[in-house]
Amino acid sequence: MEAPRHNRVLPALILAALVAWLGADLVSVAANRIVPGEGIATLDAIGWGGMLAGTLAMLSVAVLGFRPNPRKYRIAMAVTVATLMALPAVLALAAARQADSDMPQARLGIGPGFWVVLFVMLLAMIELRTRLGGSRLNGWALMFPVLLSWWLCLSWWLEPLALLQEFRGRSDQFVAAVLYHLALVGAAVGTSLLLGVALALAMRRFPALQRAGFGVLNFLQTIPSLALFGLLLAPLAWLAANVEWLSAIGVRGIGWAPALIALVGYSLLPMVRNTFVALSEVDPGVIDSARGMGMSRGQVFLQVRLPLALPVMLEGVRITTVQAIGLAAVAALIGAGGLGGFIFQGLGQAAMDLVLLGALPILGMALVADALLGALSERLRPGGAK
Amino acid sequence: MNERGVPRRANRAVHRWRLPLTWLALLLVLTVGMAELEGVFRWIETDSRQVIYDRADFVTLLGRHLLVVMVASLLATLVGVSAAIAVTRRAGRDFLPLVAQIASMGQTFPPVAVLALAVPVLGFGTLPIIVALLLYGLLPIVRNTLAGLQGIDSSILEAARGMGMSRGQVLRQVELPLAAPVIVAGIRTSVTVNIATAALGATVGASNLGDPIISGIVNGNTAYILQGALMIGLLALTVDSTFERLALRRARR
Repeated sequence: MEAPRHNRVLPALILAALVAWLGADLVSVAANRIVPGEGIATLDAIGWGGMLAGTLAMLSVAVLGFRPNPRKYRIAMAVTVATLMALPAVLALAAARQADSDMPQARLGIGPGFWVVLFVMLLAMIELRTRLGGSRLNGWALMFPVLLSWWLCLSWWLEPLALLQEFRGRSDQFVAAVLYHLALVGAAVGTSLLLGVALALAMRRFPALQRAGFGVLNFLQTIPSLALFGLLLAPLAWLAANVEWLSAIGVRGIGWAPALIALVGYSLLPMVRNTFVALSEVDPGVIDSARGMGMSRGQVFLQVRLPLALPVMLEGVRITTVQAIGLAAVAALIGAGGLGGFIFQGLGQAAMDLVLLGALPILGMALVADALLGALSERLRPGGAK
Repeated sequence: MNERGVPRRANRAVHRWRLPLTWLALLLVLTVGMAELEGVFRWIETDSRQVIYDRADFVTLLGRHLLVVMVASLLATLVGVSAAIAVTRRAGRDFLPLVAQIASMGQTFPPVAVLALAVPVLGFGTLPIIVALLLYGLLPIVRNTLAGLQGIDSSILEAARGMGMSRGQVLRQVELPLAAPVIVAGIRTSVTVNIATAALGATVGASNLGDPIISGIVNGNTAYILQGALMIGLLALTVDSTFERLALRRARR
């Protein structure tokens, strides 16, 4: 493919960002938690200087896309990272300018303009990273200064931010919810890993089991999560009422028990499928030569088949983990707690910042789990990055 | 197989569509005749006075659920397939890496989080649900359409061009038919996820089949939960088995 003379993606992205920056409300200010916030445009929020600086930074990224070369791309990347680092400072500036001693309860909300600029600049970063090449690790390293800047601003200058105030109000609960969420996901993934590998091994041994097994698991996967949680409620409540030792360990119709069962049910299909495929797709020639070298059956399995199958199995763990992080949020509806609790509590009270407090960490957890497990399976791939 | 003189083709067709038809029949019977099962639900839920969900009848709830999912899925298919086609043409090729990245990264976003994030921006009600489902449903369709179009052997495309086909003809008569199974698989994923996520829409003010479940959880009424769960489960199974049938039929041809 001939090299494109101009990068047309960057100008398109920047155009969208500028429209939001100049046209939409950057932040909103509410007198207290109950009243809806009043939108404030960029000019009023941070003044002429800030608005102009932001506009120029974004324009320069677009301009660097004309007749691009690696050097220009690197400069554009630097400007993009700097912009992302400056965004929390923009919020801090807006907070300082809006600070009013008459309204100590005032809360700063993040407006649509800010979200769009943030999102588009992240997209620009992804685009530039693809153009520049470089490893996955480099991409994450670039996120580090951005996160550092956000963390600094959040801990020092963003006191009136509504999101932060919601967090301050329930920081203990928040930490507990995150840990609980992780524990639920960890237990579900761990259980389904054990069960899944056992099931996959059994399916390889008894082909008759294969059809029935995949049939049942596919069937389970089709049932919507809310419905499955609901369907588990009645039988578990009955079991808890009639079997003493079950209720003694905390099994109830609502709570962690139905959540865990449903999560394991959903997790089994990707786990079994990937393990089964991974074990089956090992080159038979490799197995033959291992046998020829005098390895026993057990040795062949542990030293040859399993290591070769591991990357694809890990892929199953990755899919399962990401899926479970999302589904565990739904489990909050049946009283399982976790971060989903904040989401549904916030939706119930129409407190949008509380919703964000639940949804953003879930999003972050899913992205981090995806990146970590993806990198791990890439590394374990024979001949992969060492 | 063919004892009663039923034309063989029709008989086979019924046989093949047996599973989707069974689920559909069960769904419809339950939609219309939920009240007839009062005895069963009474036996399950002994404490409550009311055991059949009656704030809206099930036909309305099913209709609303289907409407939301259908509008969102149709739009998502339209937008997703055209976007994927656009970025695989020469004019849009610049955007391909970014779109492919977004489509694969977006898959990690949990549907609940997407729904929850849509509410602060779009407000409560049915419209935000449709928008959230549309945005989320786009991703598997874009990803699969891209995979389908890019997975076509380039020698086939060259042969088609060599036969004098125009670009549009190559797209319509070669690329899309060859990519169709993968595209349909993407639409299937999208619709299945949408049916499940739309049920969660009941928590953000859209009235649909998720309503009885949420209401049952809030009021501690197991019968309501079961009714909602059965309806959503049957709807999901009907749609999914229909897609499976379509995929098998395509594969046989």
